[in-house]
Amino acid sequence: MARVELNINLNRVEGDLEIALALEDGVVAEARTIGTLYRGFEQIMVGRTPRDATVITPRVCGICGTAHLYSAVLALEHVWQTPVPANATRIRNLCLIAEGIQNDLRQTFLFFTPDFCNPRYMDQSWFEGMVQAFEPFRGSVYRETLSATRRVVEIVAHFGGQWPHSSYMLPGGVTTPADLRRIIACRAVLDEVQRWYEQRIVGAPLDDWLALQSADAYFAWLETPPHAHSALGLLSRVARALELHRLAAGTPHMISYGAWCDPEEWAAPHEARLLPGGFYDGESNKVEPLDQQLINEHVRHSWFRSYDGGRHPWTGETVPQFQPNSDRYTWAKAPRYADRVVQTGPLAELLIAGDALIASLHAAEGGNAWLRQFARVRRIAIELTYARRMLDELTLHINDPHFLSPSKTQETDGEGYGLVMAARGALGHWLRIRDGAIEKYQIVTPTAWNASPRDSNGKPGHWEQSLVGVAVRDSDDPIEIGHIIRSHDPCLVCTVHMLETGKRVRYAA
Amino acid sequence: MRHIICFGNPLHGDDGFGPAVYQRLALLPLPEDLRLVEAGTPGLAALALFEGCDDVIIVDALMPGGVPGQLTRPPLETVEAETSLPGHGVGVGYLLQALAIQPKSLPRIQIIAVETSAVALFRPGLSEPVARAVEEAVSLLSKYFQLNSHD
Repeated sequence: MARVELNINLNRVEGDLEIALALEDGVVAEARTIGTLYRGFEQIMVGRTPRDATVITPRVCGICGTAHLYSAVLALEHVWQTPVPANATRIRNLCLIAEGIQNDLRQTFLFFTPDFCNPRYMDQSWFEGMVQAFEPFRGSVYRETLSATRRVVEIVAHFGGQWPHSSYMLPGGVTTPADLRRIIACRAVLDEVQRWYEQRIVGAPLDDWLALQSADAYFAWLETPPHAHSALGLLSRVARALELHRLAAGTPHMISYGAWCDPEEWAAPHEARLLPGGFYDGESNKVEPLDQQLINEHVRHSWFRSYDGGRHPWTGETVPQFQPNSDRYTWAKAPRYADRVVQTGPLAELLIAGDALIASLHAAEGGNAWLRQFARVRRIAIELTYARRMLDELTLHINDPHFLSPSKTQETDGEGYGLVMAARGALGHWLRIRDGAIEKYQIVTPTAWNASPRDSNGKPGHWEQSLVGVAVRDSDDPIEIGHIIRSHDPCLVCTVHMLETGKRVRYAA
Repeated sequence: MRHIICFGNPLHGDDGFGPAVYQRLALLPLPEDLRLVEAGTPGLAALALFEGCDDVIIVDALMPGGVPGQLTRPPLETVEAETSLPGHGVGVGYLLQALAIQPKSLPRIQIIAVETSAVALFRPGLSEPVARAVEEAVSLLSKYFQLNSHD
């Protein structure tokens, strides 16, 4: 058997990611996902005044700053039991959605679809069509995506003054109320994005697209001209021609914290969500309520000071310890839920929330790379719907409060957590305040779940599992790996807990 | 309206050229028709900095090559796509390509760049030749800070 070891550095992902593969006769036998850069935000927070969390943690990421801000403020409100008025939650949701829409469009059409223009596919009948649509800077959809997505985050700028790295959420609400001018401006942005999405991305009005509820209905639709020639239609036809719907299932288990807090629930920990969350057990095919106490992180194969087993974020630690000549291989920890390896992201979010189309496709074909990307594009329609709903509710309640000032006596010591659905999946901040300062701060990002290394039991993480069995035709141009990893929408920026040593990463098998 | 946009990451050796020029220019009084920005490494969000102006001057360090410390004004077309350091792959070259394809009319764009000798990741501080080039760039650009400029 010919064994080849391959280290792949991926571009068109956020942050610093390497994949180490062992190929046997051209098929992936083992995979290790390697976070090559450590950032130490958790250390940065220790000893600081608690409100610093809403200023510093949005800087974890230039793409999901709103998600981190929302998570941080929910964690503080949890410790302090601070009530949050409905309008504040509506504004928070609206801004998080705007960030999500931009990410989902850019990730799909600037990162994922360019892979179909790889010269290896030159002889395919569909190649020319894909190039015309998706080639970087030249393809029509690529160019339109650049201009269409520039405006979406203006919604965040209306309420936060800037994007990225805004800090307009604070315990008790948000800094800026809705007014007619802002609402009209936000509606204009949404209208423009929605029109483009309907015409170019799905080829149908939003309502018709959302009304599709079964795999059969979708595949029939895929044959009809408006959708077949839309960006999603092209993506689906070609991805499925390349059999991406048969590959890369990864772990069958999924988690979602539930998207978008329900504005009617004013009290922490805001378990009521507009899209319900939960744990999907891939073996029993059932969704169970999520219990965050069942979350723990392992460091057995990671470059951190060792401890046994997994630890919940409140009892965990993040002490970097680079050990290059060992079987530890990454700056990412291994989060687990009830000892299960789980995945998170738009597929998990929609399946657990009960989107009928996604459930039907998942039942028919299982989890796979195409379905993950498809779910991302599907989610945009749901995001647009809820953004509009938030604006409608803000309009109806335009003079209601956007901020309830917490009293000083409420700002006590204690533990809290904030759980949100970021663009890439389940994001959580856990903190403990003692003597008025942050004693502990732990962040578990969606990519931490997905890009997880092996745990104390040696079980590989979701991406690692998703790559085993994939045939790589040309190890100098592993395009198959590119398709799969980009379908995961990886972001190592906030996930890896350092110092770029300039060394080549090695591991002992 | 003119925008001077300084790109670069001061943590990575000579990539800190842009921020160093910014620090010096920021000490000068700012005329009404001039906006000075330290953009850092902003990715696509930087596209917004090219709006609302007629002229843009980009200040940045080039990837290693040429004569270290030499200032140059590369034509836009020669700036390659993937010119950013480890990070997100959206450098100035990518931004220029993204700008080139947008339907709106663009400001005039010029680049003042310094040639560098090596990439020094996570080692803040400029090499001597590039530090000297900061002075030269500041001299060149200070004419835009004349309060009675008619440009």
